[in-house]
Parts: sequence; C-alpha cells; structure tokens
Amino acid sequence: MNKYRFTLPETDGYINIPLEIKWDYYGRDTSIEKYEKSVLEEIIGSPKDFEITRFSHESYLNNTRTDLNYEFNFFDNTQGTGQDILVATTSNWAPTYLNEGFSIDQIYYYENPFTKSFFKLDFYDTNDTANQILYFTIIIPVQQGGTETASISPIIPDVDIRTPIFKLDFVGDKEGFYIYWLRDRTNINISTFYMSAKFFNGRIGGFMRMMTDPQSTLPNKFLFDTNKYFYYKVVLDYDKYTYSVFNNSGGRVGTDTPIKWYEYVNQP
Amino acid sequence: MGNNKEIRIVLGALRYKSAPELSYALQVPFVQNAKEIIEFDKNVNLSLAQVYDDERQKSTIFRPTAKFSVIFKNAYTGITNYVPFENNLYYVKAKETAKAQCLSSAQNVKWGGFPQYNEFDFIRTDYNIPGYTIPPDNHINFNSKSASTYNWSFYLTYPYQNNTTKDLTHYDSKSNKTILWKSGDGIPFVITNGDDSGNNVVIFRCGVKHGLSVGEYVKLSFAYQNERYFQVFSIGDGTKGSDDYIFSIFNYGFIGNVFSNGKTGTFKRVVDINNPDDTTSEYYVKQLKVLSDINDNVLVKSGFEQNIFGKTKKYESSGLTPNKISRVSVKEGSQSYTLSFNKDFNLNGLLDNQKRPVSELFFSVIWKGYFGWTFNNGAKLKQGYEFNLPLVNGNPDLWWSRTNLKSDTNFLIKSYNTPVNTESSLFYYVDSVKKDTIIDGDLCEWNDFEQKERTMSLLYHKFVFNSVLFDIRKTDNELNTNMFGYYYQPHHKLTIRVYSDYIEEGANDKLTIVPDYSYFSENKNSFIWRDIYTYGFIDQNNDGVNYPFLNGKHYPYRNYVFRIIPEGTNFISDNEVQDPTIDNCE
Repeated sequence: MNKYRFTLPETDGYINIPLEIKWDYYGRDTSIEKYEKSVLEEIIGSPKDFEITRFSHESYLNNTRTDLNYEFNFFDNTQGTGQDILVATTSNWAPTYLNEGFSIDQIYYYENPFTKSFFKLDFYDTNDTANQILYFTIIIPVQQGGTETASISPIIPDVDIRTPIFKLDFVGDKEGFYIYWLRDRTNINISTFYMSAKFFNGRIGGFMRMMTDPQSTLPNKFLFDTNKYFYYKVVLDYDKYTYSVFNNSGGRVGTDTPIKWYEYVNQP
Repeated sequence: MGNNKEIRIVLGALRYKSAPELSYALQVPFVQNAKEIIEFDKNVNLSLAQVYDDERQKSTIFRPTAKFSVIFKNAYTGITNYVPFENNLYYVKAKETAKAQCLSSAQNVKWGGFPQYNEFDFIRTDYNIPGYTIPPDNHINFNSKSASTYNWSFYLTYPYQNNTTKDLTHYDSKSNKTILWKSGDGIPFVITNGDDSGNNVVIFRCGVKHGLSVGEYVKLSFAYQNERYFQVFSIGDGTKGSDDYIFSIFNYGFIGNVFSNGKTGTFKRVVDINNPDDTTSEYYVKQLKVLSDINDNVLVKSGFEQNIFGKTKKYESSGLTPNKISRVSVKEGSQSYTLSFNKDFNLNGLLDNQKRPVSELFFSVIWKGYFGWTFNNGAKLKQGYEFNLPLVNGNPDLWWSRTNLKSDTNFLIKSYNTPVNTESSLFYYVDSVKKDTIIDGDLCEWNDFEQKERTMSLLYHKFVFNSVLFDIRKTDNELNTNMFGYYYQPHHKLTIRVYSDYIEEGANDKLTIVPDYSYFSENKNSFIWRDIYTYGFIDQNNDGVNYPFLNGKHYPYRNYVFRIIPEGTNFISDNEVQDPTIDNCE
C-alpha cells in the first residue's frame, strides 16, 4: 500500500486517482473457436446431406390413377436390308420385340439374348448435348411389360409373349416406376431432368437410341433438332414427392397417353 | 492496451499554494497489453473423430426406420352373401357349398371361408381382381398408391402427455370381481387373506405388474383406522409368475372388514415412507402425439425377407367357387416390410410426457380396414390393455363390447358404398389421423424420486368383423356386440436417447449444473435428475444408443415383430427381435 499523509489544507484538496483501464479483446476465445471451426470446415467440409428419397408418378384422372406408361416402338427391320428407313412410314415402328429380331421362342422361353436385354433411361440436367451431365439412370428389364399373342408351334395353342409396353405402378410392375433423387436440394438443386432412352440388345450385343417421334414424321429423317427429339422432360415435385413427364410440346405424357419411344435408325 | 492517461508529478506547492512539500511515492502499474497466444492455443489437432462426434451430439434431426415382420394367424371363418367378398374367400367346405348351390340358387347359398391374407397384409397386391378391385361390379376401384394404406396406417409418434382420468376395467377371474378405476388411481387389486410361512398376511392380487419390492410401502385407496400406508411383507404366492402380480402385507390383527376377502381397491407404490410426498408413484395412460401425416411414410417390401412360417395358399378349382372361376387363394403370408419416412423429424425443443427431452419415439400402426370387412354400423376400433385380453368364460371380456364406450379409440370411423352403389349396407373403415393428433398409449407408472417411468401394461387395439357382411358367429343367436376379433399392439418403441441409470443430485445453489427437467425435492432440498447419455455412449448395463449418424442426421432403426393375434390366443409380449448371440464359437 502507498502511504499518503494529508495535512489540513486551507483550500479544498484534491487527489487524482488514476482509473486504470486494461483493454482486452472481448470474446477473443470465442473468436478463436469460431475461426477454428471455419478453418476445419474449409479443410474437411461441413456435413452435407446426400440422402435420397423416393418420387412416385404424379396421379391423374382425378387422383384415381398413378400408373406410368411407356411404349417402346422398334423399327421393322426384319427385311434386314436397312434400306427401308428411307421410305419408312409410321407404321414401320411397332411395340414388339419381334421387330428387333428376337424370335418368338427367345422371348417366350426367356432365353439369354432376350433376358439380358434392357431399356436404359438416362436423366440429364439439360437437353443440350454439348453441356449436359448425366445424373442418374433407370433400367427397365424386359421381363416386365405387356403381352401379345404368338404361335410357337402349330400343334400347341398360341402363347403370350412380352411386349415393350410398360405399365409401371406402386404394385405390379414396379421396376423403374420410382425415381430416387436427393432429398435435400442444397447441394444440387435440380428438379427438372431430361430423359433419353436406349435399348441394349442382348442378341447383338449393341444398343440403339430411341427418340420421341418416328423419323418418318420429320422433314429430314437424319437431320433434325436432337435436343428436341431425343428427350422428354421430367419435373420433380418436392412438395408431394412426385414427378411428371412432359413431351416437347409441353403436354403431360406417361398417363393414359403413354411415353412413346421410337427406335432411331441410322442413315444407310 | 493499458492505462494511457498521462500522469504529471509535481511538487505540492506548485499545484496548491498551501500544500506542503512532501515526498510522494507512486506505484506505476506495468500493464502488459499485448500477450502471446500460448502454443497450445495456436495449434489444434485435427481430429475427425472429434468433429464427427461434435456434429453428432449437436444434431437433433432424425430419420427413423423400422422393419416389421408380420406374423398372422388366420383364425376365423365366416359366411357371406356379398358377392365380391364371397368370390374372394379362402374356402372351407367348398364341396358341400357347391353342391348346395347346385340344388338351390346362388343367392340362397352363403359361401364360407377365411378372408384372404390381402385383407390383413401391410401392402395389398390384389389390384387386378375382376369383380373385386376392377370392374365389372367391383367392390372398389383399386388405387395403386393406396396399396400400403388400405389396411393399415403408419405414423411416427412421441410421448406427449399423461392422462390420469382414463376409465379402466379389470376382471379378476379368481374372485369373479370386476374392478373399475381411473388410470391415476394406481394399480387395482383384489384382497384375499392367507398365510405366508406361518405368518398371517393380507394378499393383494393385482391386475397389472405391481413393480413392488419387499420393504417398500403401498398407499391404499382406503384406510384402516386412518392409516393408508402399509409395508410390503412379501412378494408372490409361490406359484410361477406370481411375483409380478401378487404381494402381501403383514396381518398384525386387522379387525373389521377393511381387509376382507374379495375387497377391491387400488394402491400406489411408496418407495420411502419417511418421504411419501416425493416417493409416491404416479399412474397414468401415456398419450402420444402424432409427428407425421399419412402420406409421409414410405412402406416397402423388405427385400425378399419372409418369416419362418411361410405362405399358406391353395388352388380353388373352378367347380368349387361361387363364380366358377379358378384361382389361387392365400390364407397367410410371410412378407416383411420396411417403414421409413420421406421427411426428417427435428426433435429440437420437443418435450416428452415428463417434460424431459424426448428420448423415445413410437412407430404407431393403426388398423384401417378400408375394404370394409370390419366394423358394424356404429362400431369403433377398440383399445384395451393386457389385462383385458384373456377370455372370460370362453368369451371376450365385456370391456371389448361395442356398447362399452370406454374402450373406444378416438379414431373417426367413415363409410362408403360400392362404386355401383348396389349394396344396401355401407362399408366402414378407420379414418387416417392428422399430424398433432393425440392418441392413447401404454399404462405407465412414474416415480419422481426414482425419475423413472415403468410401462405396466401395453396398449392393444382390437377389431372385429362386420357381422352383416361377414358373419363369424356359430349361430344367429350369438350377440354380435362382443364378437371374437383380432388384436394387435399399435405402438412400437424406438429409443433415441437414454437416461442414465444413476440419479444426479444438485443443491439449489448450484443451478448452473441442474438441467431444466430436474425435479426439486423439498424433502432433500435439492434437485434430482437423470443425465442424458450422449449419442454413441453405452454404459456397463448396455444402456445407450449408437445409431448410424451421417448426412448430419441420426438414423435410428429397430426390427419388430408385428403380430395380428386372434382373440384368446396365448401371446408373447416381448416383440423385439434380438440379435443372435455371438460367442467364441462364431
């Protein structure tokens, strides 16, 4: 302690007491912790939600139906020349595997060339082929689908063989009905996709591209707007977790108006 | 920064004329205003495990999942003349009925059999049955999206509040006594007098598990000479399983008829007779609040998993069906199902029925019965507890009677007619409940002193067939107000956090460490509570949770057996599927 002596002054006495103020950064520790966290996030990243969820087909006809309908039409190349595309009409495309060269036996008995075949639906962020990114794919196996009558022998009754007409729903044929996509839109905010289709033929070991209209309806069968004729638009509804499919005219398809695909045939 | 104020030191006379010139000593503080960050603070060890744990403990968002193995015994055959039902039975006595139909007309002959498994399955698959789910003359227009909601509704719920005024009834078959009480009254009992190892005792036979230990006290609903508290002398009566339901107090010479044979009443458990205010248990029906809407759940087949009982089916020959169409009918199925939700559940701020942070969720499965096989006009989905399940003289307990409104659930019953409106009788079903609806749960006991909840009796729902459309009665004289039916356990617990097995205590001057859900004991003059274990911590008793944590969310899951139990059947209340034991052999 300091020792002060005060004598009785004749006037008022004053003493100046220095009020020491020590400055320090308020909350410096907190700042360091925050900085530490931000650096850590920079290094190892913050948790991101990559969980997917299930989108089902949006109902239609007053919510009475939800089935998603595809119809894949193959070009009738049974002549084998490949020349007919030049003179083809719409009737040359039909939803039957027979057009694709499969025999009735192969289809009926589920022989490997048939069962190893499948439809592949690719979903892109844009229909601009120069800039698009493929985000996910849906496979539709040939074991699903409708049937048509065919004869495998003159001495036994006709049999039903598979056709590439698919009616997918919550029950029954389900493979390819649901779209599984990110639940959280923070990382990738895409709710509109462009769907293209290919058929992988297990008989010949090759694939063929499908388009939305038969080539015969186009002014030029081999020179057309690929952005328009190779894609359907698929829009996800995040409120209802459903999706709808639209054609290039903006009309909804996949309902009782099926999503029609037509085999694209190369120029001979 | 330090003191930056300038200080001038001058002689006293230079400042004030009369001031003496004295020696002054002034201590100048040396203020260090720039300090180095110590090495420890500058360097941080990057621990991914620590970062993961920090994120895990902080997250309050849950994505619960469950797998249900459905076990069902198709037990009741009935007869019907309603054509869509009649054409879709699993027939019994088909030959006799077909013969009778030949000799008479189809309208005069009622075919009999079991409803097929699709009427009970979690997901219906009969979407393309002509005359039933598709035209012509069909019962309903099948909507594929509703395949998983036609029979059952699925919700996520959590304990929300307690109901102490729920009316309950227990029939004691030994004394032929029916005890009526309210849930908050405690545990019901019937008294008999006897002896235990030569000691005269008053024996209390309880309707539910009493949860008592020797030495504890009970507070009775009636008094003996103004005394309501009695010490438990012994547990059980020597028979198997009686320890849970029977206890005795020492009969030191009670007079009068207070403890006479056949007397009924209720009691409450008292842990410490010296501190009855804190240590007397509370009793209630735990009520659950619905967290999800009907469309939030995603129910799918659990891969190819089947239960061990397999599928029971048979070929129905065209000559032995009422519509002359052959088919395969299924009596029982074995498919397992996975339940998840397409929304996340943020439990931040949610408190349970004890005003503590929510530590358990429930998968609530509610019978819907949209196809109309169940519920007569005016009937409701019924609820009761384990003590209501046993048959009384071979018949369902009167608790389940349609006329007993106390066993009604609060679910709305709706009705519809067929698409062609040809049927005079309506079809009834349980309407879906909305988010935030409150529904009844298990019967529980809570003790403030122990800070622990005990489930005394599990809740069960019961549904019966609509006797107008599908009559299972043996004779027309049987009343259709209290028929046999199926019951099931609706709520399936999913533990998401665990409270410690020890009790913490904190004096009221240390409020900073006391959680807001603690209980203040006036007797102890301190707060008591149980800690919440962190995620991933498992204690020596194997209590704790360690669910997957990814995407910044918790993924709790559990497997359940969902039993649809015919009335009067023995049942096993433990519905959890335990993991197989792993020992050195493996």
